[in-house]
Amino acid sequence: MNEEQKNKYYDKYLQAKQKGVKFWPDIIYKDLIVSFALFLLVIGLAAFVGVAQEPKADPFDSNYVPRPEWYFLFLFEFLKFIPGQLEWVGTTLIPGIGILILLFLPFLDRNPYRHWKKRKIGLMVMGLIVLGIVGLTVRSVVTTPEVEEVALAGSIAEQVIQGQDLYSIYCVECHQPDGEGGEVVGVEGLEGVILKPINSQDEMWTRTDETLFNVIDYGQQDLGMPPNGLGYGGELPRNEIEKIVTFMRYTWDERAEIPEEAIVGIPALTEGEAPSYEVHISMVVKRYCISCHRPGKENNEYLMGSYQEMLTTGNNADKNIIAGDLQNSYLILTLYRESILDPATGEEMIGPMPPSKDLKAEYVEMFERWILEGMPETADEAAALSSPAVEEVAPESTVTEVTPEP
Amino acid sequence: MAGKVFAWFDERLGLEAFYSTVLDRKIPKVNWWFTLGSASLFLCVIQALTGVFLTMYYVPSPAVAYDSIQYITKGVAFGWLVRGIHHWSATLLVITLFLHMLRTFFYGAYKFPREMTWMTGVLLFLLTLGMGLTGYLLPWNQRSYWATTVATEIFGTVPFLGDFLFKVLRGGTDLSALTLARFFSAHIWILPAGVVLLLGVHMVLIVKLGISNIPGEDE
Ligand code: HEC
Ligand code: HEC
Ligand code: HEM
Repeated sequence: MNEEQKNKYYDKYLQAKQKGVKFWPDIIYKDLIVSFALFLLVIGLAAFVGVAQEPKADPFDSNYVPRPEWYFLFLFEFLKFIPGQLEWVGTTLIPGIGILILLFLPFLDRNPYRHWKKRKIGLMVMGLIVLGIVGLTVRSVVTTPEVEEVALAGSIAEQVIQGQDLYSIYCVECHQPDGEGGEVVGVEGLEGVILKPINSQDEMWTRTDETLFNVIDYGQQDLGMPPNGLGYGGELPRNEIEKIVTFMRYTWDERAEIPEEAIVGIPALTEGEAPSYEVHISMVVKRYCISCHRPGKENNEYLMGSYQEMLTTGNNADKNIIAGDLQNSYLILTLYRESILDPATGEEMIGPMPPSKDLKAEYVEMFERWILEGMPETADEAAALSSPAVEEVAPESTVTEVTPEP
Repeated sequence: MAGKVFAWFDERLGLEAFYSTVLDRKIPKVNWWFTLGSASLFLCVIQALTGVFLTMYYVPSPAVAYDSIQYITKGVAFGWLVRGIHHWSATLLVITLFLHMLRTFFYGAYKFPREMTWMTGVLLFLLTLGMGLTGYLLPWNQRSYWATTVATEIFGTVPFLGDFLFKVLRGGTDLSALTLARFFSAHIWILPAGVVLLLGVHMVLIVKLGISNIPGEDE
């Protein structure tokens, strides 16, 4: 800009100022309105949207899809278009040039005019860049997979409940449902090993949370305790191990007081009530069977993760559960602790279940009634079969029993 | 009495002079887009106030950072609100800054004599993004951990300096307690110091030069 242009600018500006308003109160008044509106917006967002809950950082969980703050998304997205060996062009050269141009814009733009009609090219370039940034951001939001809903345990009670579920899956096969230990049966490599109880006072008073965490994370491999942490070849991220520790501490350590809400028993059956998969069976299975009957374990391919799986998987899928027939359902026979022999070879095909010790009588009865009622899945289906109906047909059923085959 | 007190302070602080140079000055008539700068300033102040509150409970160590944030949101009275405000006002700040920049660009306000206002503005924008980047790691959750892993890797790809930058940012080769300490220090001391400094210059320039007018067709 030459002197003449500068003077012209000052003249114009002086005129504009004279026609203008006072900073206080005219301008400040507008500023305050906008700031106040933003303030309300921020409070509203903080109160009603809040900050998303995230699990604790887990350096070993490298499956996590990194998500930068949204205003960096466009840069991440941009990098995807740059081939690997030219990475530095996308990470350094282009952003660097962009920043330098922006910073020195007043010197690079020699056009003395300020009205938009006289700066069309400049405005168009800026417009395209802004569009590009917005476009890349949108593209990135659309293409990154949704954050998986992780069950975040907030309260102690939630942690204990989730910890118990995890314990039931990963630990019961060896340590038994209540950590009581004893002889291991039906687990590859540890057959016949006697485990000390881990729910005892000795254990709880001499192992800190951190020790328990490390035992679960790293295992005690010389003794046969497998590593469970993702960092050591197991399946559990750190926050899940923490939940198991919380469960153990609050359930087995008499010094810790377990919150009321954390005690979730398996609902007992009342007289004449038909059990359903949803309310009863799935709970028993979760505590006593799932640890072995999940993929990757030795179990005759019998998975018990869902209603469908329970009825359709297993080497003896057609015989495991036969509606109304207790004497021939393998599942019931194994609970009676009978060995089932292979008809062809006469060797034991299925041992007693759960292998190491009896299932509580009330749960065995639950399985019996469930199979007698034809394996209702939902609570509603079971309710339809419950008390009144059962009592009405009771006399008839004795009749059917004496006529086994027509 | 009140008049006397005012006169006492005025004699020493020059309140009248402040009033006449800063508050009681003439400004060209402008539109609502010109409020974005002060809106950004307002959000900056909110960030500072809520940030100070958060540091009272936040502990920058990998072992407890996450739990201290949990404590802020669950244990401290209104902690969740303060944290929410800090989070959302940071988000809005980036938006208002971006729009503020676009408006000064659109009206050519970066031209003579406001070149320095613009340049300090650009630096302020970069510092604000830096605040976002460093603040993101502090909750030490999955999201922050992995985003920072990638972000620091990106700095590592800078030719020649990459390795150096990478190690300086992380405090070693791994994302560790040192990284967290560094990011925390940058987030609450280094970057804010830069912001305050540049903001001071930005503001003095604005008062000195006056807000630009909306250019007429011949300007
Ligand atoms: C494959 C079998 C197996 C599985 C599965 C297993 N453990 Fe173990 N665990 C062992 C063996 C073997 C030991 C060695 C201690 C012993 O001999 O009694 C052990 C020891 C322990 C100890 C005691 C360590 C000590 O020194 O006090 C704890 C606590 C423990 N396990 C917890 C768990 C938890 C929690 C899980 C589930 C995440 C789990 N274990 C899964 C086999 C197993
Ligand atoms: C400690 C591990 C373990 C636990 C706990 C366990 N099982 Fe098994 N289950 C096995 C193994 C191993 C087999 C394979 C047959 C065998 O070796 O006995 C099996 C087989 C079965 C079979 C036969 C499947 C087929 O198609 O051949 C049934 C039915 C069964 N289990 C029911 C149960 C029930 C019901 C529970 C819970 C109350 C349970 N199991 C708990 C290990 C276990
Ligand atoms: C923390 C960040 C910032 C704050 C608090 C801030 C604050 C302000 C305020 C209050 C004004 C008065 C006029 C108005 O409100 O529009 C202003 C003007 C200005 N700002 Fe900023 N600003 C910031 C960042 C930026 C950025 C990122 C840029 C551009 C890259 C920028 C460039 C300018 C320019 C050129 C002016 C003069 C405009 C004129 O006189 O018309 N500022 N700033």
